[in-house]
Amino acid sequence: MKETEALVRALKTHQVDGIVGERHIMICRMKKVEEKLENSRDQVRALAARLQFLRESERTAVARELHDEFGQALTSLQLGLSWIACKVTPQQQPVQAKTRSLSALVTTMIQSVKRIAVELRPGVLDELGLVKTLQSEARAFEGHTGIRCRFQTNLGKATFDRAGSVSIFRIVQAALTNVSRHAQASRAAIALMKRNNDLMLTVNDNGKGITKKLAQSHNSLGIIGMRERALALDGTLTLRGSTGKGTTLAVRIPLSRMR
Amino acid sequence: MKARKRERRTYAKPGGETYVFRLFVVGNESNSTQARGNLARLCEEHLKGRYQIETVDVLKDAAAAHKNNVLVTPTLILIKPFPKVTVFGNLSDTRQVLAALRLIGDE
Repeated sequence: MKETEALVRALKTHQVDGIVGERHIMICRMKKVEEKLENSRDQVRALAARLQFLRESERTAVARELHDEFGQALTSLQLGLSWIACKVTPQQQPVQAKTRSLSALVTTMIQSVKRIAVELRPGVLDELGLVKTLQSEARAFEGHTGIRCRFQTNLGKATFDRAGSVSIFRIVQAALTNVSRHAQASRAAIALMKRNNDLMLTVNDNGKGITKKLAQSHNSLGIIGMRERALALDGTLTLRGSTGKGTTLAVRIPLSRMR
Repeated sequence: MKARKRERRTYAKPGGETYVFRLFVVGNESNSTQARGNLARLCEEHLKGRYQIETVDVLKDAAAAHKNNVLVTPTLILIKPFPKVTVFGNLSDTRQVLAALRLIGDE
């Protein structure tokens, strides 16, 4: 019995490198396999980080094109319609009505283009930095969804590196999307705090609470994406839910990776 | 030239109780290499001059492994003094190995 336990212990602690069969000797290279697996994970993470960088670059380019090209064209169209509206005589009532409705449509389109451009690349992130952007995001979220959203920070006017700021912002965006889609919450809170040498981000809500199964599911692409962003900055991401009490997402990133 | 199936090292001192070990390993795999080194060190420290180690590479002598009912490598068998003891793994846990070989008291 003692011998069996010792054998099991040796197998469990990876102290065995060969299994002797009747005809074959199977060599188990556990450590090498584990090292290879870890290398492969590192490669996948590096690839994910590269893809995220490319995605952000692409988003920035599309946002710029939308704003500069499409936005300009729509503004010209709006001006043209206003000019036509001025030239129309009171006798041409149907033309005036049509011009007005087209003008209203163009105004809506301009707003949509602006909104899409901001969603693709929040200009405020480049101009005002992470803290102000998150403040503005909390307000916008409250406006869109009706879910009360509070933002708290102890960072003052601290500035961070561009890639790190984009990652934190995208994590917050994804977390708030989850709150609005799945949490059934009436309140949410975002906190961005400096604690010792780490940057701590928490997003919590008072909704139904994420299940452990869902938090760890391989199909939760949004959560995987957030975790990959945190890992790319040498950070960690934890997601905890409590039935009826809500969900808390916590991200810890070394400050050295944000500068 | 035909490879030697077994290597034998004897450090027995006349008059003392000689410990005879048979260590089954597989080539130069990591745990086997560690087991060889750990056993040599333990013997030097605790049985200086009165031990005998027979190392069997199961890749070269599978029959010996079958004969001794060896299922995994590394496996160390204390042949003498009686009773026979079998220890599995790379022998890195010195206290546990010494206790199993009755070289220190069980904890």
